[in-house]
Formats: sequence, structure tokens, C-alpha cells
Amino acid sequence: MNGALLVTGFFTDEAGCARGVAALRSAGFGKPYVFAPFASEAILAALGGARSPVRLWVLLGGLVGCASGFALAIGLSAEYPHVTAGMPIVSIPPFVIIAFELTILCSALSGLLGFLVHGRFPRFDPLPGYSQLFSNDRFGVVIDCTAGESERADALLSGAGAVEVTTSVSSRTQGDDTSEEE
Amino acid sequence: MAAPELGYDEVNRWVLQTLAPPGRRYWVSVATLGAVVVAGITAWTYQIYTGLGVTGLRQPNMWATYITNFVFWVGIAHSGTLISAILLLFRTRWRTPVYRAAETMTVFAVMTAGLFPLIHLGRSWFFYWLLPYPNERWLQPNFRSPLVWDALAVSTYFIVSWVFLLMGLIPDIAAARDAAAGWRRTFYRACALGWQGSDDQWRHFSAAYLLLAGLATPLVISVHSVVSWDFAMAQLPGWHSTIFAPYFVAGAIFSGCALVLTLLIPLRRLMGLEAAITPWHLDNLAKVILLMSLVVSYAYLTEALIAWYSGNPFERTTFAMRYWGPYGWLAWLMVFCNCIAPLPLFSPRARRSMVVLFVISIVINIGMWTERFVIIAGSLATNFMPSQWAFYKPTWVEITITAASFAWFLMWFTLFSKFLPIVSMTEVKEGIPWQRQAIAQARREAA
Repeated sequence: MNGALLVTGFFTDEAGCARGVAALRSAGFGKPYVFAPFASEAILAALGGARSPVRLWVLLGGLVGCASGFALAIGLSAEYPHVTAGMPIVSIPPFVIIAFELTILCSALSGLLGFLVHGRFPRFDPLPGYSQLFSNDRFGVVIDCTAGESERADALLSGAGAVEVTTSVSSRTQGDDTSEEE
Repeated sequence: MAAPELGYDEVNRWVLQTLAPPGRRYWVSVATLGAVVVAGITAWTYQIYTGLGVTGLRQPNMWATYITNFVFWVGIAHSGTLISAILLLFRTRWRTPVYRAAETMTVFAVMTAGLFPLIHLGRSWFFYWLLPYPNERWLQPNFRSPLVWDALAVSTYFIVSWVFLLMGLIPDIAAARDAAAGWRRTFYRACALGWQGSDDQWRHFSAAYLLLAGLATPLVISVHSVVSWDFAMAQLPGWHSTIFAPYFVAGAIFSGCALVLTLLIPLRRLMGLEAAITPWHLDNLAKVILLMSLVVSYAYLTEALIAWYSGNPFERTTFAMRYWGPYGWLAWLMVFCNCIAPLPLFSPRARRSMVVLFVISIVINIGMWTERFVIIAGSLATNFMPSQWAFYKPTWVEITITAASFAWFLMWFTLFSKFLPIVSMTEVKEGIPWQRQAIAQARREAA
């Protein structure tokens, strides 16, 4: 976001918010920020964008966990065998349990790490346009635009059903806060 | 459809008011629970100092109250994950206001369960021998042993449950941060990690949360199956049965859902959450409990039938002694509490009566604790050699530690419910559009 002004539309429902996003995008504006008090499929669909790469972190974590589980159990059993009544030292059925648990554990921890990395957590500075109302009962659509475009953006958001539209000066460039590219 | 129509701001107001500074009655409750915990710690300290001989554990009953408690609490934990993770995958609507309390119950139940292998070890400081670490004794864990599977399974469950709970809490803590002042705002700001509910954050959150739910689902099935194999992998009559994994998982869901009811019914009253957690939600939970009661009843019948049908004299004797031996009264108490007492839940009136639900939920947990005891101590008491038979009685040490474990669990749950949101604001709000549609549909059909 590199424009001079931030136009923020406040909506009371997710459908209105999605309409606001669609109106801005079809009018040629860039990708807006949207704030919501809960995850809304309608809003995410209106925004478009790639699927979260967190799922790849989970997959990778699972593969590492599974391989580690088998490697741990087989390796340690072979190196430090418990010799018991002729039973096989490397016995795959019980080792499946070890590998399974490590698969789940590593997938979960990896997914958490992916969420923190891609969500850029922890974050100590507020995103441009954030209002405390967005954690309560308002949905927000924030678009970065020039002074000449702000009235058009205001009109589009109001037409989509925004109960309030505010315009403020964008105080800084948002290099690392830019939403992911499509 | 009985849930009232809620607005988004009402949800925040109702849940955030539960985080208001607590009064004297709250702190007296916490102090009382803390006192019982201290009594348990004292008993444990005495046991460590004197030895496991202060318990009632004698051959052949070397597993009894402590392992019963371990299995009981691990079982309790499973329902929380069922409600929060498995029902999320099914997009079940009634779970949204109750799942946070259930997931909180899970993490504290696993914490409680994890204490018992340590207590039961006697020399608790050797617990790390179960873990693979470099050492100079040329020994590593026996990965073919169910006890090692248990250590890994329960540890994994503990970590994954905490991750699932804490991740789900982040958006709600952000809402609490925005409404708080003073030290609470600082605390919530630190815990919220800077969450602001942007579209990117929700995109990654939704993906991670759904995947975690998908991972937690097989974990629920596997962990209690692994715990059941602590018994089923032995040769002991009454233990060595292939039914144990589904039997224990069904029993776990049964007892856990009952404890969710035991916690939710006073919670909604004490915290003013009747409008968020309605009789409709509890009705659905009661239906799950009724279903699991029927499954557990079927499992009891199957066990007994197979013991008789097998013709195995040891198996037959063990089951005869279970129901007509010195522990017979416990076995029939178990049957009453788990099979007979939940039958009133067939009635919709009973399922919507807070008193009936509360009483039945407590009776079920008495029954499920008794079931674990009957299986564990009862089967050990009547093993292959009648000359070895002996009947276990708990001592004051075990009774005190058992009582302290309940107090420990309740203390953590009570502390959590006053400092962090016990109802998920985000998921309740997510359900509001659906709720409005359902109410409008119901009105159209009634008109």
C-alpha cells in the first residue's frame, strides 16, 4: 500500500463487506485489506488469492515425523536390542504406532510454525486502518488510494452498504504488510 | 430450533463480561480447591519418602487406583477433542458455544492424567528412562512395549491439544485485548501475538485450524486405543481382548461428554451464559451421551458373551468373579450408572432439564471411574493362579491423591474460565448468519 490516503468502510455483515470488496476490485482498485471478527468464506472468495501454504508445512512436518519415527524405533532397536524369546528385534507393527504419533506431532507443530510465519506473528504494530470495532461487530474494508480516487472509493463502499466510511492519511509505506500476491 | 437470535456485539458482551474481576466467592473456591491439591501433594510426598508400600498395591494388584485415574482422565480428555475437532470437520452447528470449554477440559484432563504415571512410578525422578536419550547404560526404550507407546501417545496428545486450544484462542484473546484495560490489556496483548483479524490472518488461521482438527481426529482414536493396549497386550484374563480399543474409545467419549455437561451446567449459570449455551446445545450433547451409553452397554454384553462363548475357563472365571465376586457390587454399580441411569435421556424433556442432565452426568462419571477400576483391579485380583488371588483396597494415600486430582483439574479449569474466554466468540458469531436463516425458515414454516 503506497497511496496517500486510506479509505475505510465499516460494514455490519459479511455479505455487505464482500459486496464492498467486489465493488472496489471491479472498479479497478488494488487489493484491499479486509478485517473481520470471524473467518468468512464469502469475504475470502471475494478477495480471491492463493490458498494458504500452511498446508504444505503440515505435509512436510508429517513426512519428517513419519520418517523420524521409523528411523528412531528401527535404529535404536537395532543398535540397542532387547532380546526377548526370539521375537524380532525390528518389528514393524509396533513401530507403526511410534511413527504415527510422531507424524501427528510433527505435522501439528509444523502447521503451527507455518501459521506463525505466514501470519507474520508476533506483530507489534497495527495494520493500517485497523479499528477495535473489527474484533466486535464490524467488518472493515480498507483501500489505499490517492486523493483523487478517495471519493470514488467512498462512493463504492457506501453503495455496497457501508454504515460509515472514513478517510485518513496513510502514515507510512507498508512494504512488509502488503498482502500476498495472487 | 431453540437458540435465541444473537447479535455480534451481544456475543462479545456476554463472553467478555465473564472476564470481569472475580469476587470473593470465586477466590474462596479456588483456595478450597488449592487446599485439596496441597493435601494431595502432602500425601504424594509421604509416599515418595516412605515408599509405595503406603498404598494398597500388593501382588497381584500392582495396578489399581493410580492407573484407574490415569485411564479415567485420559478418557475424559477425548471428548473435548471430539467436540472441538471432530465435530468441526462435520460442521456441526451446536458445538460452537460449548467446544472451548470442552477443549479446555481436554488439556487439563491430560495434564491430570500425566501426573499418575509419575505418581505410580514411586521413584518419579526416573520417568525419563521411558524416553530415548543418549546414555551410558547401553539401554534404550523397548519400542515393542505398550508403555513406551503410551508415553509417546499421551505426550503427543498433550502437545497437540494445547496447540489446538491456544491457536483457537488467539482471535478471542484479541477481542478481549481490545475491550480490556490495565494489566489485563497488557496480558491479552502479549497472548494475542498482534492478531487483528485481517483477511490474510484469517486465511492462514482457517487452513491451520482445519488441518489441526483433521490431525486431532485420528489422534483421539489412536491415543485411547494405545492406552487400552496397556491392558490388551497382556495375557491376563479380562484384559487380553481385541475389543479393548473400541471399548475404551467409546467409554472415553461417554465419560468425557458427561463431564462436559457437569462443567457446562453450573458454568452457564454462574457466568451468565444461558443465552449462549442453551438447552438446545445441551440436548444435542445429551444425545451423544445416550448413544455412547448404548455402545458401552453393548460392549459389556459382548465381553461377557465372548468370555462365556470362548469356553476358556480362565476367562469365564474372571467374568464370573467380576460380577459375583468380592468386587461384584462395584460391577453392578458400573452397570447401573453407565447402562440404566442414562436411559431417561431418551425423553426430550429429560434432555432439556438442567437438573436431570447434571445428576445423570455425575452418575455416569462415577460409573466410568468404577468401570476402569473393575477392569484393572478386578481382573488383576483374579488372575491365572487362584493361590495368588487377593483383593485390593485403597489406602488414605491413594484416596487423598485421587481427590486431589479432581481438585487439581477443577482448579485449573476455574482459573482458565475467569481469565480467558471460555466460549468462542468468533465461532458463535460465525454461526449467527445460519441461525438467522434457520429462525426465518422456522417462522415461515410456522406461518
